[in-house]
Amino acid sequence: MEQPVQTEMWKAGSLEELVRILHRLFAEDKVSVEEVQALMESYESNPDEWLQYAQFDQYRYTRNLVDNGNGKFNLMILCWGEGHGSSIHDHTDSHCFMKILQGNLKETLFEWPEKKGNGEMTKKSERVLRENQCAYINDSIGLHRVENISHTETAVSLHLYSPPFDSCNTFDQRTGHKHKVKMTFYSQFGERTHCAMAMPQENN
Amino acid sequence: MAAAGGAAAEPQLEPPRRGPAEGEEAAAAELAAELAARRSAEARRLVLSPRRLWGPLPAGLSQWFPALEVLDVSGTGLAELGEELLALPRLHTLLAKNNRLGGPGSLPKALGQAPLSRSLRVLNLSGNRFAELPPALLGLRGLQSLSLGGNRLHGIPPDIQELRSLEFLYLGGNFITSIPPELANLPSLSSLVLCDNKIQSIPPQLAQLHSLRSLSLHNNLLTYLPREILNLVHLEELSLRGNPLVVRFVRDLTYNPPSLQELAGRTIKTRNVPYAPSDLPENLVRYLSLASNCPNPKCGGVYFDSCVRQIKFVDFCGKYRIPLMHYLCSPECSSPCSSASQSSTSQSESDSEDEASVAARRMQKVLLG
Repeated sequence: MEQPVQTEMWKAGSLEELVRILHRLFAEDKVSVEEVQALMESYESNPDEWLQYAQFDQYRYTRNLVDNGNGKFNLMILCWGEGHGSSIHDHTDSHCFMKILQGNLKETLFEWPEKKGNGEMTKKSERVLRENQCAYINDSIGLHRVENISHTETAVSLHLYSPPFDSCNTFDQRTGHKHKVKMTFYSQFGERTHCAMAMPQENN
Repeated sequence: MAAAGGAAAEPQLEPPRRGPAEGEEAAAAELAAELAARRSAEARRLVLSPRRLWGPLPAGLSQWFPALEVLDVSGTGLAELGEELLALPRLHTLLAKNNRLGGPGSLPKALGQAPLSRSLRVLNLSGNRFAELPPALLGLRGLQSLSLGGNRLHGIPPDIQELRSLEFLYLGGNFITSIPPELANLPSLSSLVLCDNKIQSIPPQLAQLHSLRSLSLHNNLLTYLPREILNLVHLEELSLRGNPLVVRFVRDLTYNPPSLQELAGRTIKTRNVPYAPSDLPENLVRYLSLASNCPNPKCGGVYFDSCVRQIKFVDFCGKYRIPLMHYLCSPECSSPCSSASQSSTSQSESDSEDEASVAARRMQKVLLG
């Protein structure tokens, strides 16, 4: 691990080291978004290190908790089968970092709908994130939808949320109407969690 | 190099570089030599690392790996799988994605008669060039999972119903324009992926897929769904984004007055006029069997061909509005809940307590999470 110089750029040589450095960064009062993003991007994905968390579901993408950051952040791995995608959602006033570990994910950014909006939501931009790239979003930037648009390859992504949250709003693209949903973990620390899903998840 | 083993794949070596003139024959011969050298009577899994092949799989494969259960030839450029496949008696998983399969003879014709027609459970042919579902694979009676994602399919053959054991069917990323009602005759189907196609309508018979848990329809050309979709009680996942679903209330009053045959048929059905198949010509017996019930619960009527289309929005508490297509037997036969929609621009009709809104609340659970 390189010692930080004036711009504090860390390098994580393994997933374990990434978690260690994250704990250290989040122990401080202030955390820099650029620092975390650079750290996440510096980790070169090695499937041997995260395969135990990569538990796929036939029907939809899964959220697999890796580390709960002493309450300061949640680090999790999301597994996307072919064609799996999320709804348009916000991030409950938290920071969200998303790094691709395998495959590709398409991120589409949306404007927040008008207060009494009743029309199609406005797309801001879209991009395809490649392996090892790390994206960042928070509610002031906008809303997004994340999808694995490949029909032949699965995708795996590493997400960091700070502060942790377990519910968010999903949005109907056609009308801008929002609905609060609870988010659940498919597995935690590599163990499948068999609590019955509170509600089935939609991804409109 | 080929990796063989019962557990996780061993590290795979890249084949040595070849000049462009050497061609696929040499690659095939090299593969045969490698596999012969790595033969194993116990190995259950064989993965070919990405390389350039034409195919078929080398004769002798079944002798070098008689216990083979999983074969992964993805990303090898194979244009045909070959007869040797038929000699693998224990194969339950065949992964052949991202190849050049799709021409005639890609799959051996006798697939349905081979031992693997009973053993094969998983077949992945995604990322190939199939323009039609290869008929040879319809004989795979034990097949549970089939993927033809990212091919060039323009349709689905009605004979797909022969894949009686199918639980998972992935057809996303093709050019499919319509769905045959026979697809509904797959009793175990729990996951159906039809995203990224050109589908304009869903046949109402799909509601007969009682086991369906996941239905992926995003990025198609759907303007509405059949109201029968509310009957899919086990549905947990439904994706509809990227369809031109009608948002504003639409009332289509196009109505062709019924023919005499239609009126006679309706009378027979609603008055329960008894008849035996010997009483009528076969075509009329068949006609009478096609009667549909008017969904208006206050109407006991039936219709044959002559009906009014009406797009009705099932209002999930004003959040999601899925346009559902209703067929009513006549313009006068309106459901109770559509009376509020006489003001045609109103977007906040409230549901009355009819069968449609009970089912709609169930659907709300599916869509809202």
